Parts: sequence; structure tokens; C-alpha cells
Amino acid sequence: MNNVIEAKGLTKRYKSTIAVDHIDLEIPAGRIVGLIGPNGAGKTSALKAILGLATYNGHLRVMGMDPSKDRAALMEEVCFIADVAVLPRWIRVWQLIDLTEKIHPRFSREKCMKYLASTKIKPDNKVKQLSKGMVAQLHLAIVMSIDAKLLVLDEPTLGLDILFRKQFYTNLLNDYFDEERTILITTHQVEEIEHILSDLIFIQDGRIVLNSSMEEVQQGYAELMTSGDKADAARALGPVNERQLFGRHIFLFKNIAREQLKALGEVRTPSVADLFVATMKGDQA
Amino acid sequence: MNRLMALMRREYWENKGAFRTTPIVISGLIFVAMLMFLITFSHFDNEFQSLKELLRFIAQQDVGLRSHFLYESTLEMSVIFSMVLAFVVFFYLLGSLYDDRKDRSILFWKSLPASDTLTLVSKLLSAMIVAPVIFWIVYVLTHIVVTLLFSIAVMALGENPWTLFLGLYNPFEAWSIVLASYMAQSIWALPLYGWLMLVSSFAPRIPLLFAILPPVIIGILQLWFDFLKTFTLNDNLFGLYGRWYANSPLIMSADAHEERNFGAALGIPLSSDYDHQVTISNMLDRIFSMDMLIGFVIFAAFFAAALWLRRRATES
Repeated sequence: MNNVIEAKGLTKRYKSTIAVDHIDLEIPAGRIVGLIGPNGAGKTSALKAILGLATYNGHLRVMGMDPSKDRAALMEEVCFIADVAVLPRWIRVWQLIDLTEKIHPRFSREKCMKYLASTKIKPDNKVKQLSKGMVAQLHLAIVMSIDAKLLVLDEPTLGLDILFRKQFYTNLLNDYFDEERTILITTHQVEEIEHILSDLIFIQDGRIVLNSSMEEVQQGYAELMTSGDKADAARALGPVNERQLFGRHIFLFKNIAREQLKALGEVRTPSVADLFVATMKGDQA
Repeated sequence: MNRLMALMRREYWENKGAFRTTPIVISGLIFVAMLMFLITFSHFDNEFQSLKELLRFIAQQDVGLRSHFLYESTLEMSVIFSMVLAFVVFFYLLGSLYDDRKDRSILFWKSLPASDTLTLVSKLLSAMIVAPVIFWIVYVLTHIVVTLLFSIAVMALGENPWTLFLGLYNPFEAWSIVLASYMAQSIWALPLYGWLMLVSSFAPRIPLLFAILPPVIIGILQLWFDFLKTFTLNDNLFGLYGRWYANSPLIMSADAHEERNFGAALGIPLSSDYDHQVTISNMLDRIFSMDMLIGFVIFAAFFAAALWLRRRATES
């Protein structure tokens, strides 16, 4: 089994709308994949199908299992944080750890206690006494103590302050990720995760509009910043996107040799956010 | 099995207030009532003269009568626990599949490798076994303490509690028959439990309303149609609820069948479908009956529907 996630023609319909529209997807092990799209693009619907939280049409295998049928078995291999602060509010930290240990065969109490030791969270705290950031820390500590093959994070840091967010991703990279594990992240805060991603998937209106590795993105796309007089020459090369900033023109090119662009101005690798805006715009036009 | 135990422990943790604190409060109320009784008595009755006379009068009564009275009063002390237990279980099941949908913690529970079936079973067993057993334990402890206090009071009044009542009967029989009635009731009430879980799994808000309105509306419509058709008020849903309740294997003190004017009975003896005398075999009669078989079928349908909805609870 090479692919952690395999989808062919994955479709999710709600009464009148199609949230996920015939998606084909293959995610191999050892990747950190960013699933990025505007609100209502179908990210959460796709993730719910992958996690066995919703029904779907089409072919879908996660760790070789059918999520809609084998959710319980799948959850031994897959972990997810669906949203910040969904831990039950009445529970105490020690109860949560006890329970996870009894139900999850791959949970390590030692690891979890180690992670928690570096926070202000005490075993006797109730979840409702914790701040939003601490709840996220607690949830991450539990998830990182589970030896799972696939970790799915759906907006894991929404509403957290910048310190927590940085810490969250640092912990994830340093203490959790290795080449056998796969992490699938959706978030709106693209800038914060772009340096940790290995693959990028853009989704819009239920369809995948970009699916490539970060290396390909870095090689394939270039951003050119130029003054007004060279703009026409740049336009002639067929940019994907054009915008203006402080009187300068910024073009985004796909598969144009950088040497060629350097003659026209300053060339750099576009950020994921820029690429995202350009791709979404391009498709709408 | 370990997972099921873990899930049931989870239910206990979440509902500690209802499952454990509630019976303890009842127990406390019983002690307060006892205390008030004694204070009231002492207020009107200097030096407990009439209480002493009462004890002497009791001591003269027939031993068989006394032991019977003790047995029945032990059973009847369970009634208050049983009634509150019914409320606790009702509201527990009504919230069992609703609360975590409402606060979205269902997403966390679904991230654990426990199937929806196991989750539902853990909730049902908590209602059928965990809550009743805790109530029963508190009932037994309360009875022991009340008996002790009463013995001390009797001794203080110069009588021998052993010959007066302690030595006359074996409380284990009454205790165990109360426990048996709780377990029988858990089975008898399955159609209701299934309905509550179903409501809990679909109600978008205020599950209580969704639990009560449909049966009431159907019942009223039925009454109305029947009345228009035949001008009678017999066979209808309300009659069915009533019969179900009257035939419950729970010990509810209201004995009309026996010549004694004081006694405990199974259910409320409004119907003669079953024998209402408090015996294990009368409880089993109800469990192995045609009525119960229909009840099982209804329960299975409700439970399966609740499970189906639970699987899809995270959609949208």
C-alpha cells in the first residue's frame, strides 16, 4: 500500500449543491499536504468523507479501508483535529487521557504526559477551565501521542494567537512528523504553513485546481516585479496573473524560464498566498 | 470489552451529578425527614411517652405480622428512589446523543476508534444497569443507616431493638428483590429507552419537546377519531401507555388486590393482565410475555434508527 489516501471520482452532494465534484486524489506516505481553498470550496466535505464522518459517492480508500464502512478500524490508524475546542467541556484532563488510553491501542500515556509537562495544563483541570489555546495544546498533545499513520488537521489553529500557532506547528514538525507519517492540513492562514508543506492542493467549487509538490511549485512558478514600461513585454509572455503594487506591476508566470524573465525585472518565487489568489482569480475569469 | 467499559466509565463521569449525587440527595432528604419526625414528636410528646407506648404496642404484635411489615416497608423505601431514578434515566437518555452534537464534541468522540454501535450500547447499558445499580446501592446504604438510627432510638427509649424488629427478618431478601425489579424494569422500559435515544439522535433542539409531542398528538388524534367513530374512549395510545405503566415490574406501593390494606405491589394494580404480587416469577412473567416481545421489536426499530442517524450525525 503506497498511497495513504486514494480517491477516484469522489463526490459529495447536498440537497441542491455539489460540495465535492469528482475529485481524483492520491496522497502517498511521508508528505505534509496543504489542502487550501476559499470558504465553501469543499475542503471540509472532502475531509469528512476521508474521515468517515459523512457519506459520499465514488471510490475512496484511506489506509486501504473504506471510511464510510470502517470508521472505527480506520481511527486506529488515523487521527484528526476537526476544529479547535471540540473536546468535551465537562471532562477532566486525566479522564480524557485515561479514556483515550483505554480506547486507542496506539496511544502512549508517557508521551502525552511529557508534552503536557511543558504546558500549564494540569491533570485535574476541566476542559472548560482551559483557555482556547490550552485546549488546542491538549488536543495536539493527545493526537501526537497516538502513533497514527495519517493526521488530518482541519483549521487546527483557528482563533488562536500567533504564539500558540507558531508553537503548534513547531511541535508538530519537531516531535511528530517523520517519513512514514502523512499530515493533511487545511487552513486559511496559508503563510504559516507554507514552509512546512511538501505538497499543495488547491480546491475551488469542489474541484482540484492545483495539485503539485512544493518543489514543482517553486520551479514552475515565478513572480516578476517590473516597472510600467516593461509591462507590455511581460504581458506578451502570457502571465497567469497580474497585479499592481505601489505603481509597479507584478506578474505571475507558469513554466516560463527565469532567465527570460530576469531581463524584464526582479524575479522571485511566489508565496503560496499569492499563488492561491492568482489561481482562484484565474479560474473565475 | 475494554472499550465498552471505558465508554461506560465516560458516561458515568459525564453524568456523575445525575447518577451519583441525586440518590445521595434523596438519602439526605430521608434522614432530614426522620429528624423532623423526631423533633415534631418531641415537641408534642414530652419524654416520648406515646412513642414508648407505641413501641410497647408493636412489641405485643404477632411476630409474623411484624416481620411482614418490616419486609414491605423495606420494599417501600425503594419507591422514592425508583421514581427519581426513572426521571434521571429519562433525561439522561434524552441528552445521550444530543449533548455532544450540540457542543460539537461528537467530532472528538468520532476520532476515537470506537464504533457508533459500541457507543450507543454503552449509553443504553448505562441507563439500564449503571444508573439503577448506583441508585440501588445508595438505597441499601440508606436503609442500613436508617435501621441503625432507629435501633439507637429504640434503645434510648429502653426497648430491645433486636427482639422488637432487627432479629425478625432478613433484609437481603427485600434488597435483592428491589434490585431484580430494577433490572426487570430496565428491560420492560426498552421501547421507551429506544424512543428517547432516537429522539436524542435527531432532535435539532429541545429534545424533550420532540420526545413528548408526537406520542401526545397521535394519542389525541386517535382519541378523537375513535370518539367520532364509536363514541367510546377505549383502545388508544394513552390506554397503551397506561397499561404499560400499570404493568411495570417496578415496585410501586399501591396494592388493591390483597385483603391487607397496606402493601407493596409490582406496578400499579389497575389491570389484571399480570399478577401484581412482588415476586421474581411475576417479574419474569412480564419479561417473557407477548407484550414484551412486541416491546423488543419496537425497541429494535427505534434503536436501529438511532444508530443510523448517529452514523450520519456529522454530515452537513
